Amino acid sequence: MINSLSKAIIIKIIFSWTIDMTCKSQLYEIHKKLGAKFTEFAGFEMPIQYSSIKVEHLAVRKSVGLFDVSHMSNVWITGKGAEDLISFTTVEDASKIPIGKSQYTEILREDGTVIDDTIFMHLEKERYMMIPNAGMAEEVTNWLNKKAEENNICATAENVSEKFVILAIQGPKSRDTLQKLTKADLKQIGFFECQYIGINGINCIISHTGYTGEMGFELQITPAENGKIIFEKILEAGKEFNIKPIGLGARDTLRLEKCFILAGNEFEGGRTPLEATLGWTINWDHDFIGKKALVNQKEKGDFERLTKLTLIEKGIPRHGFIVEKDGKKVGKVTSGTLSPCIGKGIAMAYVHPSYRTIGDELDIVIREKRLKAKVVKPPFVPKDWSEKN
Amino acid sequence: MSELPKDLKYTETHEWVKIQGKTAKVGITDHAQSELTDIVFVELPEEGKEVKKGDELCVVESVKSVSEIYSPISGKILNVNKSIEDSPETINESPYDEGWIVELEIINTSEVEELLDADAYKKSI
Repeated sequence: MINSLSKAIIIKIIFSWTIDMTCKSQLYEIHKKLGAKFTEFAGFEMPIQYSSIKVEHLAVRKSVGLFDVSHMSNVWITGKGAEDLISFTTVEDASKIPIGKSQYTEILREDGTVIDDTIFMHLEKERYMMIPNAGMAEEVTNWLNKKAEENNICATAENVSEKFVILAIQGPKSRDTLQKLTKADLKQIGFFECQYIGINGINCIISHTGYTGEMGFELQITPAENGKIIFEKILEAGKEFNIKPIGLGARDTLRLEKCFILAGNEFEGGRTPLEATLGWTINWDHDFIGKKALVNQKEKGDFERLTKLTLIEKGIPRHGFIVEKDGKKVGKVTSGTLSPCIGKGIAMAYVHPSYRTIGDELDIVIREKRLKAKVVKPPFVPKDWSEKN
Repeated sequence: MSELPKDLKYTETHEWVKIQGKTAKVGITDHAQSELTDIVFVELPEEGKEVKKGDELCVVESVKSVSEIYSPISGKILNVNKSIEDSPETINESPYDEGWIVELEIINTSEVEELLDADAYKKSI
């Protein structure tokens, strides 16, 4: 009953494609000592939880948590044409992103569907680091190099994922914790800013970004040995705030409460940024791959859009569940869970444009039962939740 | 090591059965609740329904997983533990006592004899 089924569902929920080869995180032994249960995600054996998803989730909302997210990829983009290459292959105009800034964006195919969503950091002149999703390093690197070559752009993408450990420290006490390990004043690093920094005397890349909706930082550390040192130093420094190591289980519930996209779920089957309600990330004033398709789609307007639903009745929506209106299928859930903060079933689903006005009532079909849900304004958990609870 | 009361019967699919005369209480084992972690939702069957051995009895969900609980024996559902609908975490906290799931009227006593004792279940996990 339990092992095979729950594992199958876990993988189905958080991950929709698999790679045969499984890599272990460089921090595997440390996680094991901390009591982690593991899951396979995009070919990586990563901690799904240490103590309990709920406890870990609330630790990040209320204090501080530390994530090993080394399954994510690292790609250097360098050369005179680095800025042009990023502008041409993403929806962002990279000329608008100065040195010291991080930017969330998407890489599209010609038909406007998303290959991957990513953050890129402008670290030096003609030098960017891009963080594609887990298992996407090769595909993104090859795509970027191919487009550079085809369009005579003088830039190179290099996959350096194996050399890096990526840590995320997230939660209202993340800055106080990390500040103990660096001479740099972290208050000077603004939201979505990045730079090189010494942490415990080790040179890292820091970005004031995250995937939890709380204050937080992401660290790119190389070589991997240094990642182990910093992971343990952060846990030590955060003791006074009751810091917890956080697995992929809570990472998923934390991002879903804030309506952040999980590529494997929300882009499954080919979705455009407009469908994924990422229109705000598109800079329309520059030329990029997929632009023409997006302009056409925008003009037509008649396309399914990612919709945020809260269950009125008791139940838990899951990936793949059908959304109905008066017995007629009008959408499908891409991600769903029980929100640890608000205690309700929450879901993101692609829904036909006629049925997704805030306040509209729809049904989510859960094991042949129709449970009432309501279209709500994102996010499910507001920014000031931690202060009020 | 998880707790395994000697007076209960078990299944390889991690249910426990407590025989009380003609009725049987059913729940999930300490090992099962610890593997599932944080149970957050239980979908109970209707009282009065008849189930066969191996039928889906109810559904238990944790934050990240959905698990079916199978009926260890055939029987008629006499009672369901409604309190676990409002506080599913009771199954984590007290799997053999307050976290029971259903009470069945035993139809076929020979099925009871096929259930595992604590030692046999221990070997299976």
